[in-house]
Amino acid sequence: MASSDCFASVVAPLSNDADIVRAFVTDVIAVLKANYENYEVVLVDDGSTDATASLVSAMLAEERCLRLIRLSRRFGRDIAISAGLDSVIGDFVVVLIPESDPPALIPEFIEKCRRGAGIVYGIRARRPAEPLYLSIGTRLFYWYFNRIVGVDLPRNSTDFRAYSRQSVNAITRIKDRLRYLRTFGGYVGFGGEPFVYEPRSRRARTRGRAFGEAVGLAINMTVANSTQPLRVVSLGGLALSLLSGLHLIYVLLTRLLDPNTVAGWTTQQAYVSAMFTFLFLMLATLCEYMGRLLGEIKDRPLYFVLEERTSAVLLVDEHRKNVVADPD
Amino acid sequence: MASRPEFDSIVVGGGFFGCSLAVHLRRDLGQRVVLFERGDELMQRASYANQARVHNGYHYPRSLLTALRCRVNFPRFVADYSECIVGDLEKYYAVGRTFSKTTAAQFRQFCERVGAPIKPAPAAIKKLFDGDLVEDVFSVHELVFDSVLLKQRVLRDLHEHGVDVRLSTELASVRSSDDGALEGTFAGPAASGTLTSTALYNCTYSRLNGLLAASGLPLIHLKHELTEMPLVEVPDEIRGKGFTMMCGPFFSLMPFPPRGLYTLSHVRYTPHAEWSDQPGQPWRDPYAILAGVERHSNFPHMIRDVSRYMPCLRACRQVDSIWEVKTVLPKSEVDDSRPVLYRENCGLPNLTCMLGAKIDNIYDVLEVVDGARPSPAVPARS
Repeated sequence: MASSDCFASVVAPLSNDADIVRAFVTDVIAVLKANYENYEVVLVDDGSTDATASLVSAMLAEERCLRLIRLSRRFGRDIAISAGLDSVIGDFVVVLIPESDPPALIPEFIEKCRRGAGIVYGIRARRPAEPLYLSIGTRLFYWYFNRIVGVDLPRNSTDFRAYSRQSVNAITRIKDRLRYLRTFGGYVGFGGEPFVYEPRSRRARTRGRAFGEAVGLAINMTVANSTQPLRVVSLGGLALSLLSGLHLIYVLLTRLLDPNTVAGWTTQQAYVSAMFTFLFLMLATLCEYMGRLLGEIKDRPLYFVLEERTSAVLLVDEHRKNVVADPD
Repeated sequence: MASRPEFDSIVVGGGFFGCSLAVHLRRDLGQRVVLFERGDELMQRASYANQARVHNGYHYPRSLLTALRCRVNFPRFVADYSECIVGDLEKYYAVGRTFSKTTAAQFRQFCERVGAPIKPAPAAIKKLFDGDLVEDVFSVHELVFDSVLLKQRVLRDLHEHGVDVRLSTELASVRSSDDGALEGTFAGPAASGTLTSTALYNCTYSRLNGLLAASGLPLIHLKHELTEMPLVEVPDEIRGKGFTMMCGPFFSLMPFPPRGLYTLSHVRYTPHAEWSDQPGQPWRDPYAILAGVERHSNFPHMIRDVSRYMPCLRACRQVDSIWEVKTVLPKSEVDDSRPVLYRENCGLPNLTCMLGAKIDNIYDVLEVVDGARPSPAVPARS
């Protein structure tokens, strides 16, 4: 295959991957060497406690253009990938997970990016066999996230992604502490394109996600990307406040129209309804302000510019003479 | 009776250190000095192929001693070699936001502590940097020298003081003669043979261990790097300015006066390969390694990284690259300091090996030489 003149960077997060890292790096470099004149591989060690770092360190002496960034402790996969994205220099950057993503597909991902996609995201051809509750839960989550939260999160998308330099620059400007790179893609725009592939495991037994972990992830992703749950609470508060107000009116009318009202009932009911009316009103107001506050605190860039163009029309009419009749 | 040696000192290696030492020994101490250079010209290797920086301390926020020595030597060097210094360089140091081992506040405090002038860079300069990646930019006082002018100056000094300079002549080996003097064997197109001297100074930088190996003496532990510095043309807004990013896997862009271009060095991409000389192991000729290596330029890597920090540098055009062997002491890998190696009686009495890392280290070396004058040859008992 002809060597391409673009610069390809590969980022891979490592976490206790001593058993597979050597084979993975060898595969990646073989693919890059065959396809690109210039490339680099940036491995980010996310606080591994096994021999991962020392194995990679040994490989640094054997392979060109290999880099290792070691995080001081475990920060999680998305932050590890972010550290890599902060440091890569390529025109196109491919992120892949050593365990599941086949390096042989790197050139195809980059080729799609070269043809104009800002981000090419991997889609699992099929989900691994999983229990019914997990599969229902996942469907429910994707529906809620895409429809209600309103952030574009493609179904079954993975961390195997290719980014153009422009989209890397946009993503690295987002400084959210809760980071889910899969949702950033939809946020920054630049045109995403799916790439369906079949993940292949380098391990006999894949490391799956526990149910509790999956629920936690779903909650975190929702909270990180949306204040929609707060809006639900605030609308509920408003409705309950209205209900309490109506109850107050009912109580007062009963007192006026029904002479048999028990002594003390009106005072007590009126007190409770008035209090709840105000309480829920305050809650609704607080929720709205809290939502705004969250948005401001994140301090994300207001917008990302895809490109800027200027009109190419000749401004001067060729036939107009630069002559005036009236000097005033 | 033992005869008096032909020379007081043999200096091996015609780089800036060897030449300056030879002039010093001749002019200030009145010695009979001979200087050997295996190349056909003086000061063609490390004295030419470097970033031509006269350090003023800024480079070493993690080694206070090195920074302070720079501060002491800087005014001295600038005064002594004023005609070789390039005037009106605007020099800026920027501090990276991530992956930097120092912060802007720390860097500022460090400069104030060693007394190196520092002030905030003008807004027009700050605008050249990406604010997300660069924490702050400072305007500092640092200079560059013109290595060709420096060579002319050194040649003049050598000539004026009558140092015996032997070009294209390699001092191949040295041994102790029976009468306690040193006997060197040299070979060149003009003449070959032996000569005797009281002392010998080995100033051959990356080939320091070559003479020791050929003389059957133990090697000194040194680390070598095969380095590439691209020579580039810079966009107009960069002309007359130098930039250094502190303090991590970053870069430095400096004018290179002899060719009217700029040198780009990058901590991550300038070194292409490394190896070391170890006592007890066979010696490998660094120049042979340099000549044999495949020169695959790292400029595409450098320019992509550099233009992340300074987008305008994307317009830099590579004209050429300088390939050279850089030699450092293994010690400085740990703490970033740049001590001078000065080892006396290196396997033989009065055989001194020295290795400096920066041009202005010459003053440290000359002071040590003055403090440790070789003992006169002791005649062997007859």
